[in-house]
Amino acid sequence: MDYHRISLDEALPEGQGRREDSAVAGLPLTRRPAQPPAAMDAEAFRSASERILTAINTVIDGKAEAAKLALTVLLAQGHLLLEDVPGVGKTLLAKTLARTIDCSVSRIQFTPDLLPSDVTGVSIYNQASRSFEFRPGAVFANIVIGDEINRASAKTQSALLECMEEHQVTVDGTSYRLDEPFMVVATQNPIEMEGTYPLPEAQRDRFMARISMGYPDKEAEMEMLETHQATSPLAKVTPVVTAGEVASMIATVRQVYVSQSIKEYTVSLGRATRESGMLRLGASPRSMLQLLRAAKATAALDGRDFVLPDDVVSVAESVLAHRIILDRKAASAGETAQSVVRAVLAKIPVSPDLAAAPAAALPNRR
Amino acid sequence: MTLAPQRSAGTHAGRSGAAGDSGPGPRGPESPGTPKARTKTGAQPWLMALAVAVAVAGAALSLNGVLRGWAWYSPVLSTVLTVAFTMAGLRALRWHSIFVTAGALAALALILTFTFFRPNSILGFIPSGATMTQLGRYLRRASETVLAESAPVAPNAGIVLLVCAALGLMVILVDALAYPLALPATSGLGILAILIVPAMIKPQSVGVLGFAAATAGYLLILGCSHWFAPDPRTGADTARNPGQFRRGALTGAVALTVTLLLQLVVPGFEQGTFPQGSRLNPFGPASGLNPMISLGNSLRSPTGDGRITFATNAASTPYLRSVTVDSFNGDNWAPDDRDSTRRLGTGRMDSGFESAATEVRVVTAINTGQFTSPYLPAPYAPEAVNGLTGRWSWDPATLSIKGVDANSRNQQYVVLSAAPQLTPDLLAQATGPVQDVPDQFIRTPDNVPEIVRSTAQTVTEGSTTPYARAMAIQAYLRSVDFTYSLQSPVQGGYDGNGLSVLADFLNQKSGYCIHFASAMAVMARLEGIPSRIAVGYAPGRATGATVSIGGQGALPEFEVDARDAHAWPELYFQGLGWVPFEPTPSRGVVPSYATEGQAPSGASTNENNDGLIPSNAAVPTPTPTVAPLPLPGAAAEPAGASVLRPVLYGAGAVLILGLLLASPHLARGALRRRRLSGSGAGSAAAPQAWAELRDLATDYGVAPRTSETPRHFSERLRQAGALGEPQGLDADGHRAVRSLTADFERRQYGRPPSVPGVDGVPSGARPGSGTSAGSAGSAAGAGSSEASAGPLIAAVRSSLRAHAGPLVRFRAEWLPPSILAVWRRAAAVPFRAARRTAQRTRRGLAGARSEVRGALRRVRRARRLRRS
Repeated sequence: MDYHRISLDEALPEGQGRREDSAVAGLPLTRRPAQPPAAMDAEAFRSASERILTAINTVIDGKAEAAKLALTVLLAQGHLLLEDVPGVGKTLLAKTLARTIDCSVSRIQFTPDLLPSDVTGVSIYNQASRSFEFRPGAVFANIVIGDEINRASAKTQSALLECMEEHQVTVDGTSYRLDEPFMVVATQNPIEMEGTYPLPEAQRDRFMARISMGYPDKEAEMEMLETHQATSPLAKVTPVVTAGEVASMIATVRQVYVSQSIKEYTVSLGRATRESGMLRLGASPRSMLQLLRAAKATAALDGRDFVLPDDVVSVAESVLAHRIILDRKAASAGETAQSVVRAVLAKIPVSPDLAAAPAAALPNRR
Repeated sequence: MTLAPQRSAGTHAGRSGAAGDSGPGPRGPESPGTPKARTKTGAQPWLMALAVAVAVAGAALSLNGVLRGWAWYSPVLSTVLTVAFTMAGLRALRWHSIFVTAGALAALALILTFTFFRPNSILGFIPSGATMTQLGRYLRRASETVLAESAPVAPNAGIVLLVCAALGLMVILVDALAYPLALPATSGLGILAILIVPAMIKPQSVGVLGFAAATAGYLLILGCSHWFAPDPRTGADTARNPGQFRRGALTGAVALTVTLLLQLVVPGFEQGTFPQGSRLNPFGPASGLNPMISLGNSLRSPTGDGRITFATNAASTPYLRSVTVDSFNGDNWAPDDRDSTRRLGTGRMDSGFESAATEVRVVTAINTGQFTSPYLPAPYAPEAVNGLTGRWSWDPATLSIKGVDANSRNQQYVVLSAAPQLTPDLLAQATGPVQDVPDQFIRTPDNVPEIVRSTAQTVTEGSTTPYARAMAIQAYLRSVDFTYSLQSPVQGGYDGNGLSVLADFLNQKSGYCIHFASAMAVMARLEGIPSRIAVGYAPGRATGATVSIGGQGALPEFEVDARDAHAWPELYFQGLGWVPFEPTPSRGVVPSYATEGQAPSGASTNENNDGLIPSNAAVPTPTPTVAPLPLPGAAAEPAGASVLRPVLYGAGAVLILGLLLASPHLARGALRRRRLSGSGAGSAAAPQAWAELRDLATDYGVAPRTSETPRHFSERLRQAGALGEPQGLDADGHRAVRSLTADFERRQYGRPPSVPGVDGVPSGARPGSGTSAGSAGSAAGAGSSEASAGPLIAAVRSSLRAHAGPLVRFRAEWLPPSILAVWRRAAAVPFRAARRTAQRTRRGLAGARSEVRGALRRVRRARRLRRS
């Protein structure tokens, strides 16, 4: 059974193997840090994020946007869904992100016969100690890469649900805390749909963002052929930040200030998707929360301690598009979820009070 | 697929069969073409022809007054209609537009031949050789008329032929512009060309009727062309859209209001004829209540309106007097209407003065015709007037007769008047002190210009008796120094009445009867002789006809019209009463008692008013700079004030107009100042500066969108090229925009300064507190950069100006779109409210109706149940 769980160790250079102690959180609720990690200072945050992005960009050419969004999701404590045709570097992006951080990584290759216990872990009777012993599943890692997630059965997929939402695993009535940071990076292939179990809405809603990699442009592709033909690019990647640093980066993101008008803007975006005539299902309140979190991470990555409307706009498409369901009429009219989100963004006033500001300041205007 | 052509062929056959009976004309719509195109061309040529015909025929209405009477209008109308509908017919037959024009020309030739050369042509409408000779004759006659006669000319065949031909060509031109060339708006040029003729020639300009008809036709043309061929630029927003109509109506209303108001504000243009005056008067012509004002216009009128005929048994043709002016104070002299002392009834009138001279009773029968005035023209001094309709009253002091509830239009009456037989001897003896004359005739005006006073003194030097003094004044005014001119007062700016005008007149020594009469009247008062100005008519011309009046036999008939309008002074001599004088050279008849040996023009009459019509006479134009009498210092002031007043009014009007035009600019400036300085409170400064930046960008054509984030907008503004290159000389503007954006973002979205760091995290630990300040280029943070919003805005503004074209710069300065948009929104508020109210009312009514219907149904059902 263990063959589903492919350790990254074989690809790693010496001395950078998976650290068992941190990967297997082992016995529950004991190894968690006593107090939350402290926030970082701006300079440290900037240098850390720059190091991560530079490392990713050396491996994946011409995909800076996707890399930044992946980091954003990580810092916003969300999960990432990479959806694209095979061979554009989905798994590579996930692996690289994982590799740049000095933390535990596990990878699950989803297949139809994968069982939920393979994901979560299983209690095995230990003959020696004559007791049941919990053997943690693949999900016990800081970064979990779920490859081709739509190939697993619905049962296995939903086993991920609890882990993703609650950052804990419950086996045989015992809950086991997952380590922080915890992030699931799932990939799926939208082309070969035969024999797959498309993710249900509820599960899609648990992913903070969905990214399409897209094909690289000509220069990037040439560059890739040039540099990566002999060696695996992953071989060069070394961890540039520690898990602790990432945790304090996350703490920093949490403190980013969100003003009232941003909240209003976010809410009005969500309401607009629900009231849009082109959608069968609008964005959920949870997605609003995740949108705001992603915006906070974006703001922090941009070197700010407050959120701008631009941050919301920049992540809105990735955060909202996979959660909404198009009306049949709109779908046949050639609309896509992305285009609907863009239309909503183009319609909603950024801050309603801004338009009123000059008039309010000048009550006696002619 | 197969059904459609069959059906269409069927209707086609049926219709053409039906049309075959009625002739070739209506076959047009059935001509080949797709069914869609057929419906489109159906009514358009006909409606368009109607519109063109209305426009041209309507504009032709204004030619009345250029041509006398209306007899010429029916050939004009037939020509216009024939040409217009020939074109429509040809077009409905789908002829090529060149052939349509050619056909219209042929139709024009045929209808002109039919109208004017019927006997000299083949079959009455085909031109022949005889037609050509006749045409030459007509053209010669027309050219003679044009050269010899002044408007209104008699509508002889030559002139009418010319007019018809010109209007027919105009129809073709207008139609060509509106239809095949698809330039409907420029078709107004053709209509304007027609309107210019009366505007140049007629004193009352185009006239309301012609103007309104031409405008209606023009609007019809525009409407038709927009209806049938919507402008592709407006897209779906065609004339069929009701919103378009409302917009059009609003635009038209605003344009009309502005036209009517603006021309009232523009100074000058109060009197005189075309080049100098005569504005479009929406309130109708002057009522004649102040004859002093209308006199100049009447004199200049070439039409000779208001013809009065009269027959008299007097030895010499009398002056017809209608009103007197006796109060010479103020700026504007008008008849003093002492309504309280007026007496009703004209059967017996008496001035109350005893005259030492023998009086001769004169009977005069007067027919006023179209002359309309509240005052009745009558020879002086009337004793009884018979035959009037309506109620009339008379003033014992002046013997002017005024209608109580009637006017002088279409009155025929007989006046019995007493003409004292005055002689110079009698007058010379009248030296006694003036008694029993109301003070109003004696009072010297308070503000007599010094030049009048000094002139009076100089002129009457050495004269002892009142008569001698009066004769001296009259002789002075009739001397060769003075010229009679209707135009020079207009050009010199003293066309009117009043004391200030008088000073100008005495300086320029050129004017018309008003000036001469008032000069003499005022100077007489200065010399102690009571005086007043009589307004009426100089003796006219004999018509050659005779009128028989009961008891008098056949009397010669005379006529006067507006061109004979006149004013003359009347002086009071003790024991003799009011004695008229004639100081105006070349006008009227100098009374025998007032003639002296030296008066060369004593016999001059205005038998033919040749000298009056400026175009016919070489009136020596006085050089306005010549001032033969030295101006005493005191004289400058009232004269200066009078000159200043129109200047002041004009300046005021120009100021108001300027303010109106500059109001967007001023409002924009005030808004900017208030934003940059007024809100000193730090919390509001950044949003205010940001609002100013948005408006600035709007003014220079980079308008922010509501769904745009501040940063995106600022990027777009900088990328748009409105600020120039981000490096080098233009770096200031870019830096300012970036700084303003950063300030605003921090203020709008950043952590409020009063709130301490969440969870006690020191502010230094927050990301961005250092970096963002660094990017804004001000290390001190929010406070200092906000204080400098003014210079930043100024930098942005100068950068925007430097990179904008002259037109954009002008618009941003004087018609800033940001302000205009706000005003437009404000202007639209009433419309929106009205629309909403209408909607609500409609909905409410519909609701009430359905409720009532439901209630009725319930009642009916209940009744049915009860019955069953």
